[in-house]
Order: sequence, then structure tokens, then C-alpha cells
Amino acid sequence: MNFIGISLTHKTASIEVREALHLSKEESSELILRLKENIFSSGFVLSTCNRTEIFGFPKDGKFDFQPVLKTLLDFKHVENLKPENFVKYFSCSAVKHIFKVASGIDSLIIGDSQILGQTKDAFQLSEDLEFTDSVTKRIFDTSIKVGKLSIRETLIGEGAVTISFAAVQVVGKIFSSLENKSALVIGAGETGELAATHLRDKGIQRLSIANRTFDRAEKLAKKLNANVIEFDKLKDKLNEFDIVFSATSAEGFILEYDDIKLNMKKRKGQPICLMDIALPRDINSKASQLDNVFYHDIDSLNIIVNQNLQKRQSEIPKVEKIILSEMISFFSWYNTLDIVPTIKAIREFFEEIGNDELEKIKYKLSSDGFEKVEDMTHRLLGRLLHNPTMRLRQIAEKGTDPNEVASMSVLVKELFDLNSESHEKETK
Amino acid sequence: MRTLEFQHPPITSKFEIFSILAFAIGFSFFLLELISEVHKTGVFVIGISVFFQVLSTIFILDNYEVKEVLRNNLLGLHVISALLGYAGFTVSAVYGILFTIMYKQIKRNKFGKIFVQLPSLELLEKLSFYSVIIGFLLLTFAISIGIIWLPQAFSDFTYLDPKLISTTIVWLIFGTGILTKLVGNWYGKKVIKFFLIGYALTILSMFLANVILPSFHSFY
Repeated sequence: MNFIGISLTHKTASIEVREALHLSKEESSELILRLKENIFSSGFVLSTCNRTEIFGFPKDGKFDFQPVLKTLLDFKHVENLKPENFVKYFSCSAVKHIFKVASGIDSLIIGDSQILGQTKDAFQLSEDLEFTDSVTKRIFDTSIKVGKLSIRETLIGEGAVTISFAAVQVVGKIFSSLENKSALVIGAGETGELAATHLRDKGIQRLSIANRTFDRAEKLAKKLNANVIEFDKLKDKLNEFDIVFSATSAEGFILEYDDIKLNMKKRKGQPICLMDIALPRDINSKASQLDNVFYHDIDSLNIIVNQNLQKRQSEIPKVEKIILSEMISFFSWYNTLDIVPTIKAIREFFEEIGNDELEKIKYKLSSDGFEKVEDMTHRLLGRLLHNPTMRLRQIAEKGTDPNEVASMSVLVKELFDLNSESHEKETK
Repeated sequence: MRTLEFQHPPITSKFEIFSILAFAIGFSFFLLELISEVHKTGVFVIGISVFFQVLSTIFILDNYEVKEVLRNNLLGLHVISALLGYAGFTVSAVYGILFTIMYKQIKRNKFGKIFVQLPSLELLEKLSFYSVIIGFLLLTFAISIGIIWLPQAFSDFTYLDPKLISTTIVWLIFGTGILTKLVGNWYGKKVIKFFLIGYALTILSMFLANVILPSFHSFY
């Protein structure tokens, strides 16, 4: 199987290089057109912030990675990018690599939930640009199947593996539902935005944003359909919230122990979750001593993240089992592809002989007589070829024993000397 | 079934009572599960239920004299509702303990199996509170029947009977607990602590009243 590919991931390149090489959808489309023109007959390009993968079937059938690399580098110039940053795959290993990527076990965060969607998009792009054939399509379908099976049948995607998601998980263990709760996110940076998005996804009823720069708070609030609270009035309004996420880059505490104590008085002891996901911390951790105050910082949330990562790690063998079984079924199918040309060749071979012989007697018979002989010849050929054709098809469709298929194919070709026949034809 | 077989309410021996208690706890838990759709705490509650039923099954007798007064159906209602009431308090205590465990786990950053398996604190608190309310209502019902009917049935009836006093104390404790939650807006740990201490006092007062002090209320 002359399937090859190059891959640059978090394992082989720094984040700067990965980011610089990242291809947008438009860029990927353009690169595909170039590859299609010069190098591959079919394939795909997958590019995310953590990986760029280019795979396909070379037109010349050779395992030559250089043209692929060259096309990519001509297309996108990236400084400090070295050939060592790429891992090269071919044949079986290439297929296995794609399955691993789709399953999420090759991701920076094991079991990453986004990669399957990104892979699907990449495959779709190839289909849209007519950069596929039956084999690549089968690889795409099986990859997606592997990804789905991994999620469904293993725990590879279970549990929170980011700080902000872990924080939301803890909140879920304190309040039964977020639908009648209100939350405040302090800090409208990347972390704050992520936390606010998670809370929205979990169905929080009231969401407010506070940020030292008012405009940024307003921008994020607009995006998430939230309210804005002025940074200076934060402490006065704190008692209105059941959940507070703090993710600012401020030095020193924004909320002191006394602020929380006063707040709890105002809340009449109603429970409050304080998730301090900032570094350095925003809330004085002494607050955790108060009753019904659930304070967690990055360190304590990291415990959950690490636990979940470990659990996911231990699921990898199960995913690899899925990959192996899908590899077996893929290659069984692939090996049966051999039989199709064989069936075609044997039919052509017989028909040619029939036509030859008919030609010889064409002018020795009356047209009526010739028609009868012609009919008989076709019937005869049909009956003679019926059983072998059906048997070969059956073997191919079953596709369980590639060896049987291969040996049958070789036997038929040898018996009728079909190789030279078809070869002759091709060269003609 | 024993009621049908022996023609009296199933309240004539300690072990019949245990059986009812087991049934009552199981039943109240079943109701709670239906209402709350929580399915992971059953093992704790059913454990208690099984304990009482096992005791009952081992020691229960089939043939013995049943006092006339114990054959009364009104008394049956009185005892069964009181027991159901106590079952409610027991279920509440179980949820209270689970709440306390979960509360400590979260506070101490322990995110192990317990953290993963148990429902949220808010829900545990709610379940505990609901079972207290159910228990309280049933106990109120039992006391009402008792006050109306007892003076007629027993010649030596007295309001100073230890069991009456202890039950009144229990009723007052849980009544106050419910009031603080509803009116005083108490939350979380404070309410749960109150109910747990209330439950401990309940057990203690029941023990004192039933085992140590003599009373017309003792039949076995």
C-alpha cells in the first residue's frame, strides 16, 4: 500500500513552530490543489494549533517524502522549521497514525474532544475538493469510526482535564443545578473567558463579568450574553453571587478574608463557591476556613486534572485495542481489492477468445446461423464463468481472510496467465 | 402478611416492629428516589433497612399471646405512623452523614471515589430536609392519634409518661430545625448539624424511655 504522510506535532516541534505552520481552511484548500496537481492522487491535510498532517497516495506510487515536504515549505514559509520536526509514515503505520489521531490518544491532552471534529472537517475538505478515492474514503470512514468507538466504549474522554473545567465540575458537586444560580467571573482574559463559557454551557442562569478594564468586560459580556459589573463595586455586589471565578493577572489579593466574611454575613450563610484560577492568586485562601465557603485554587483543582489525566492514560490500551481491530478489518478489506481486477481480467480474457472464434466463422455461416452460434457462445461463456466469478466475489465481499483472497487471485492469474495479458493491454 | 395470618396489626413484638421499621425505611427511600431521581445513595439507606429486617427475621416468633389492647387498629395506625416518622428521621440522618462526608471531602480537596459517586451537597441537603419534613408530619399524626385515643384506652395514662415526654422532645427538636431552615434561612452545614444532633438525641431519648424507665407505653 503506497500511502505516505508527514506529521508535525507537539511531540516534534515547539509551540512557536506549530503555530507558525498552522494552515487555515483556505490555506489547506490551496495546498490540497497543489498536492493534487503534482504529487498525490488522493489524500488530506489536517492542521490544528497542535499538529499539521499531510497524507496521500503518490501518483508515481513511490515512497518519496521529499516532494511533499517541499510543496508544503514552498507554500508556507516558517522560520526555524527543520526536516527533523516531521515524522514520516508510510503504508500500515500511516493508517495507524491517522486512527490514533482521530481517537485522541495522540493529542497533547489525551482524549481531547476537539480533534475528532477537526479530523472530520479535514476529510470533508478533501471530499469537497475531489481529492478522494475509494481507499482514502475508507480510511476516513474508519478513522471517524475509531474516534466514535473510543469515546463511546472507553473513558478516554471522561473527566475534566483543564483547570477551568475542573472548577466547573467541583461547582457541580456543590450545587445540584446551575439553572437558578448566579455567577461572577472576575477577569476577562483567556482563562476568564473559558471559565465563563463553561458556566454558560452548564446553563448558569445569571452571568456577570468584572474586569479592571471596563471595555474588555463589556466585550466578553456581549459575547456571552452576560452583565457587566464595575470593578470598584465588586465587593459590594459580591453577595449576589453563588459562584465566583477569579482569573485576573493582578498582583496581590482582590478579595481578602474580611471581604468574604462580610459577604457571608450578607448572604446569611448561603453557600458560595470561590474558584481562584489566577496565578498569582486573587482571593485570600484563609476564606476557606469559613463555613459554607468552598474555596479552591489552581493547586487543588490540579489534583482533579491530574487524576483525570491518569484515568485517561490508563484507558489508552483499550483505545489501542479498538485501533488494532479496525486496522485488521481495514486491511482485510484493502487486500480484497486485488480480486476486483482479477475478476475483470478473467471475464475479458474469456470474452476475447469467444469473440476471436466468432470472428473466424462469421463468414462461413448464414447470418441466421451466425446469430444462433453467437447467442450460444455468449450463453456458454456466461455459464462457464458464472461459478468462478461468484466464488471470487463472495471471497472478496466476506473479506475476512486476506490470504485466501491473495492466493486465489494469484492462482487464477497464474492459471490463465492474466498478468502478461493485462500488462500487454496496458502497454498497448 | 402477618396481619392477615394472626388477625392483629404487626406491632405486637419488638421484631414485628423491626420488620415495619425496615419496610418503612425502604419505603421512604423509595419515595425519595422517585421524587429526586438520585440513584447512588441507596446502598447506605437500604443497608439500615436490611439490618432491621435481618434482626426481625432471625428472632421473630409465630405463636404467642397478644394482649387485647394491641389488637386495636387505631393503635396500629398510631404505631405505624410513629415508626414511619422515625424512619423519615433515620433516612434524613443518613443523608446528613453523607452530606457531612461530602462537605469535608470538598473542603479538604479530596476528589476520590466518594466525590465522584455522591450527588451534590445541595441535593443531599434537600433530601435530608425532605425526609425530616415527611418524618415530622407522620410523627405529628401519630402524636395526635395518641393524645385523642390513649386516655380512653389506658386507665393508668399520664402526660408525664417518659415515652410521651421523649417523643415531645423529639417533635420539638425537629420542629425547631424545620422552622430555622424555613424562617431563619439556615443553610448547609448548620442545618445538617442540627438535624444530626437532633437524631442522636432522638435515639438517646427513645433508648432511655423504652429501656430504662417504666411506662404504661411498654408492651414487650
